[in-house]
Amino acid sequence: MIKDIPVAIDENLLRATVKLNTFLFAGVAGFLGGLTLLCLTYLSLLRGLPHPGLYLNLLGVFLPGYSVSPAGAWVGFAWGGLLGAISGAVVYRIYARSIRRQVADYLAGNMPEHALEFAVLKIHGHSLGLALGGMTGTGLLLATNWLVIRGAADESPHAGLLSHYLPGYSVSLPGSVIGAVETFVIAYLVCVLASAIYNRVATRRQKDPGQ
Amino acid sequence: MAAFAKLDVVALAVAMGAVFAIGLFLMTVVLLAKGAPPGVGIGPHLGVLGAYLPGYAVSWGGSIMGALYAWIIGALLGFVWAVLWNLSHYIYIILVVARAHWWRLMAD
Repeated sequence: MIKDIPVAIDENLLRATVKLNTFLFAGVAGFLGGLTLLCLTYLSLLRGLPHPGLYLNLLGVFLPGYSVSPAGAWVGFAWGGLLGAISGAVVYRIYARSIRRQVADYLAGNMPEHALEFAVLKIHGHSLGLALGGMTGTGLLLATNWLVIRGAADESPHAGLLSHYLPGYSVSLPGSVIGAVETFVIAYLVCVLASAIYNRVATRRQKDPGQ
Repeated sequence: MAAFAKLDVVALAVAMGAVFAIGLFLMTVVLLAKGAPPGVGIGPHLGVLGAYLPGYAVSWGGSIMGALYAWIIGALLGFVWAVLWNLSHYIYIILVVARAHWWRLMAD
């Protein structure tokens, strides 16, 4: 139960904390993004197949220099790192807009002092959903319209396959808007679900450290 | 507190594993439900995942296998993410404390 008690928060400390966490979140996201693309590329090469990385090669449309090859894998690592870092920073910045309220709620709950020592991060699903949903929706909008601007809309049957999961989506301006909205909703729901599971498991483990 | 509270590694692994598993399962099931014209395979593009996930196919049985694989991949990703997040904060705190000690030594 949230108590409506005014709580003083050190704004400078909060700002510095958000800045630090944005940097760290971007770092982790960038590292994992780059590593994921690197591993997927090398996995495609190792698998051989008639056309190694047939679909992965399509990323070269959006990531100049990327291809399913040993050299391209490292270009992909750089791109994945850069895009992951930017995405991570943006997502955390949007998410952090709710931190002030979360801290105030936590403190107003009058938790015992020692509880802070062993505090485990809880995730605010709504804020994360807004951040990630906005990011992914915007990403789909930009990627689709990049194809349209390049004049490759008719030559992008693979992008059009998204219409299986995003009814109304197509490689066109109106289709990209519909797809962006649907992507936002899906990403939002995924974040709310993931954070609900995480918070429930984390709370249970905090109450019973033996598990 | 909100900055330096650690992420629960197990909880994040479970959450991401669950989300990935449900995601791939639903993606497969949606294609199966939609079906395909006679003579055309269902989900030939999603089926390419079978090259990386042995046993996965766009079929009811394959969707279960895919969910298992996705759970493992999601759990691993969540585990690594939480470990990196916590580790980066620990390193930062160690550096801050070390710097404080250093300046105190210099001041003395």
